[in-house]
Amino acid sequence: MIDTALRHEFEAALGADAVLTDPLQLRTYECDGLTGFREVPALVLLPRTTEEVAAAVSLCAKAGLPFVARGAGTGLSGGAVPVAQGVVISLARMRQVVEFDPDDRRMVLQPGVTNAEISKIAAPEGLYYAPDPSSQVVCTIGGNVAENSGGAHCVKYGFTVHHVTALRVVLPDGSIVTFGGDAPESAGPDLRGLFIGSEGTLGIATEITVRLLRIPQAVRTLVADFSTVEAAGEAVSGIMASGIVPAAVEMLDSLAIEACEAAVNAGYSLDATAALVVELDGMEEECDEQFERVVALCREKGTTNIRIADDAAERARIWQGRKAAFAAVGRISPDYFVQDGVVPRTRLSEALGRIAEMSRTEGLRVANVFHAGDGNLHPLVLFDEQAGEAERAEELSGRIAEMCVELGGSLSGEHGIGLDKACSMPKMFGETDLAVMQQLRRSFDPAQLANPGKVLPTPRLCGEKPGRFRPHPLEAAGVIERW
Amino acid sequence: MTEESQALREDVPGGPENRPGPGSGSDGSPSRVRPTSLAETAAALETAAAEQQSLLFTGAGTALDWGAPVTRTDLVVETGGLDRLISHAAEDWTVGVEAGMPLARLQEQLAPAGQWLPVDAPTAKAGATLGGLLAGGDVGPRRLKYGGLSDLVIGATLVLADGTVVRTGGDVIKNVAGYDLAKLMAGSFGAFGMVARLNLRVHPLPESTTTLALAALDAGQALTAARAVMRSPLEPVAVEWDGERLLIRFHGTEDSTAARGRLGAELPELAGARVLDADEEEPAWEAHAAKIAGEEGDTVLRAATRPARLPALHAKLQELAEGSGVRAAIVSGIAQGLHTVVLRGGEAEGHAAALTAWRQAVHESDGSVTLRRRREGVDARAESWGPAPATTPLLRSLKQQFDPDDRCAPGRFAPWF
Repeated sequence: MIDTALRHEFEAALGADAVLTDPLQLRTYECDGLTGFREVPALVLLPRTTEEVAAAVSLCAKAGLPFVARGAGTGLSGGAVPVAQGVVISLARMRQVVEFDPDDRRMVLQPGVTNAEISKIAAPEGLYYAPDPSSQVVCTIGGNVAENSGGAHCVKYGFTVHHVTALRVVLPDGSIVTFGGDAPESAGPDLRGLFIGSEGTLGIATEITVRLLRIPQAVRTLVADFSTVEAAGEAVSGIMASGIVPAAVEMLDSLAIEACEAAVNAGYSLDATAALVVELDGMEEECDEQFERVVALCREKGTTNIRIADDAAERARIWQGRKAAFAAVGRISPDYFVQDGVVPRTRLSEALGRIAEMSRTEGLRVANVFHAGDGNLHPLVLFDEQAGEAERAEELSGRIAEMCVELGGSLSGEHGIGLDKACSMPKMFGETDLAVMQQLRRSFDPAQLANPGKVLPTPRLCGEKPGRFRPHPLEAAGVIERW
Repeated sequence: MTEESQALREDVPGGPENRPGPGSGSDGSPSRVRPTSLAETAAALETAAAEQQSLLFTGAGTALDWGAPVTRTDLVVETGGLDRLISHAAEDWTVGVEAGMPLARLQEQLAPAGQWLPVDAPTAKAGATLGGLLAGGDVGPRRLKYGGLSDLVIGATLVLADGTVVRTGGDVIKNVAGYDLAKLMAGSFGAFGMVARLNLRVHPLPESTTTLALAALDAGQALTAARAVMRSPLEPVAVEWDGERLLIRFHGTEDSTAARGRLGAELPELAGARVLDADEEEPAWEAHAAKIAGEEGDTVLRAATRPARLPALHAKLQELAEGSGVRAAIVSGIAQGLHTVVLRGGEAEGHAAALTAWRQAVHESDGSVTLRRRREGVDARAESWGPAPATTPLLRSLKQQFDPDDRCAPGRFAPWF
C-alpha cells in the first residue's frame, strides 16, 4: 500500500491533479492492448516534464515502489500492465513537439506525441517519420521506443531504432541522462540502441529525437491474387531475389480476406486463396520500372488477378483492408488470439503448412495476415469461448510462436515480449543468455523497480497462465486498428 | 541453440598452443592467443580469467589505438582465426560470420549472389574485420542510406571477460525478443567483451552507381547544396564534403542513376556540378576514404553534431589549427553531421591543443568527439575522451556487471570508466 505521506510527496512534486488515486480512474489503467492480463495499480502519476518524471521515479526509488511507464496502452504483449501495489507513470500529458528542424530533418518530441502526428507535422516540409505501426493514430513515440516498433514498411526502412538518434532518459534511480546525440552516432557504446526496445525495463524516455525522411516521390501499390499460398510465396521469393527492395510485401490468406471483406469491403477477391499486397516507393522513374518487373514476376508465378492502385484513394483502400485484418476477424469468429512470430522468409510456406496442420488437428481455424517480406507472421487463432475452446486456442497460439523459434525465427517481430511471452523466452535463449540479459538489466536498475516481471522469465510469473485476447476498448470503439 | 553455448564450453578442442600462457611474456610483452573456434575462445578467456589477465581483443588492428590508450595488456586475443562464413541464406537476406572475417572478404563472398553488406568503412581497405568494425564504430559515407554496421546486425554471439558465451538477437531480419546486447558492443572498443560471431542483414547489390561532384571550398555553400539534394527526390546514398568538393553518390537501376545524376546537376544549388566519368568514380571514393583514414603522424578525430553546426565548427577548426601551428582538414558526412577531422604537420603540442579546444567547441554545440589515431606525444598532453558525460555512472555500472575485474581493455574509456 502507498501511505498518505508518500502520496503527499508525489502531490508536492507533481501537483495534486497529477496523482490519481480514485479506484475508478485507476481501473482504466489496468491493462494494455493485450487485455487478458489485468492489474489495478496503486497510483497513477501524470507528469508533464522530464524533471517531474525524474521526481516521480526518485520517489519510487526511495520508497522501493515498482513503476510502469505507459504511453497510449496499445501494446499487444502486456508490456504496460501495472504491477500489483505499484505505480503507473503515464506520459499522456507529455505531448509537446519540442523542436522541428526541417533543414536537418529532425524532430524532438515528448513521449506522448502520437506516431501519426509526427508525420502530420512534418508533411508540409515534404518529410515524414518512417516507422508506421498500425496503431499509429493513437500509439505514442515513447511507446514505440520502448517496443522498437515496426510496421508494414520495415523491410525497406527498418524499425524505431533506425530512426531515433537521441533519447533523454530518466533512469530507474531518478537521474536524467542523454543517450545518443544529434547525429546517428556518438562517442562510446551505443546506449541509445540498447535502450530502444527494452520495453520500459531500463528507464523512461522523456524526450526523443527522430530523424525524418523525405516523402518518396512515387508510391506504387498492387494486390495480386493467387490460387495457392505456395504460389504467392514463390512470387514473394521472386521479388526479393530480383534486386528490388520493396517498401512492403504483405500476404493475406483466404480466411483473412474473408474477414477483411466482411468488415471493410476493401475490394479483395473472395475467391483468392492468397493475396499479396506489394508496395514500391522512391524516385518516379525507378519506381515505375521496378513496378513493371514486379507485375511481370507475379504473372510469371501464376497470379490469377492483379489489381493496381491508380491513385492515393485506391491505395488507401487496399491498406485499409490490410490494416483492418485483426479487428475484422471479429466478423467471422466470436473470439480470437493475435500471435506475432517470425520465421526466415524462405520457410514461410513450411510455417504456414504447419500452422494449417495444427489448425486441423485442433479443429480451430487460423487466419493468416503477415509481413511476407520479412517473415513476420500474425496468425489469428479463432475460437468460441462459449463453446469452451479458449484454452485449446491459447495453447495453439503459443505453440505457433514456439514453432517459429524452431524454424530458426523469433518469438516476436514487433509486438514485444512483455508479460505475454516472458515465459517463452527460454525457447529462444539459453539460460546463460537470459542471465546476461538480467545482468544488463541490473546495471540500469539494481533495485528492479522498472517494469518488473516483463521481458525476462521469473519463476513467479511463469507459474501463471496468460489470459485470452479481447479487443482493446479503443479498438472496440473503432478508434484504432491492429495488424 | 539453447544448448549450444553449454556444449561448446564443455567441448574444448583447443590444444595447449591455443591456451594463454601464465601471464605476460618474460620480456614484458603480452602473450597472444589466436583461437579458431568459439569453444577455444571461451576456453582461452576462462583461463585468462583464472589468471586475472587483462585482455585486448584485436581483429586486423586498424582501430587498436582509437579511444584512450589501454593501460595494461597481459593477453592479446586475436580474432583472425575466427574468419569463417557460417551461413549465407541469400534468399533470406542474411549471413552469419565469425567476427574475424574481414569486411572486404565478406563482400567478395556475397557478390556472386548479387548481394553485399552496405558498409563502406574506410578501414575496410586495411583489412578491418566485422567484429572490429562493430566495436570501433567505423562507418563510411553510405551510412546515409543504409545505416551503420550496427544497424545491420540482427544477432551476435559474444564472449565475456570470464569466458561466458552469450547470444543476443537472432537469425531473422525482424526480431524484438530480448535486449540487444550487440548495441553494447557497438563503439565499445572491446571494453565489455569480445564479439565472436555476427548475424547480418545483407542487401541486393545496386545495379548501378553514379557520383556527382561539385567544387565547394566553403562549408556554408556545401551545406546549402547538400540540403538541396536531400530535399530533392533523388535519394542520395552518400553526401560528403572534403573541404574542397562535395561528392554525391546515387545507387539504383541503370536508368535511374543516370536520371539522378542529370537531375542533380540541374538543381540551382548545385550549379557547376558534374557527373564523374565511370573510371573516375571509384578512385574519387577511394581517395575520399584515404582522407578519412589519415596517415602515420596524423591526429584523427571523429565528431558527431547537428549538420547545421558544420560551418561554425569548420571555421573554429581552421582558426585553432592556425593558432596551433598544424594543418587541419575536415571530411564531413555533411547530410548526417558526421565529421572526420585530420590534424597534420606541426608538433604534438599543437595537435593536443587543437584537439582539446575543438572538442570543447563541439561539446558546446551538443556534439560528441571520439579520438581515433593520434600523433605520438598527444596522449601525454590531451585527454582522450574529454569531460565525463552524465551516463558515466551507468557505464561504470555496466562495466561492473560485464567485466567486474576491469580486465577488458582497461583504460580504454579513461577517465569515464
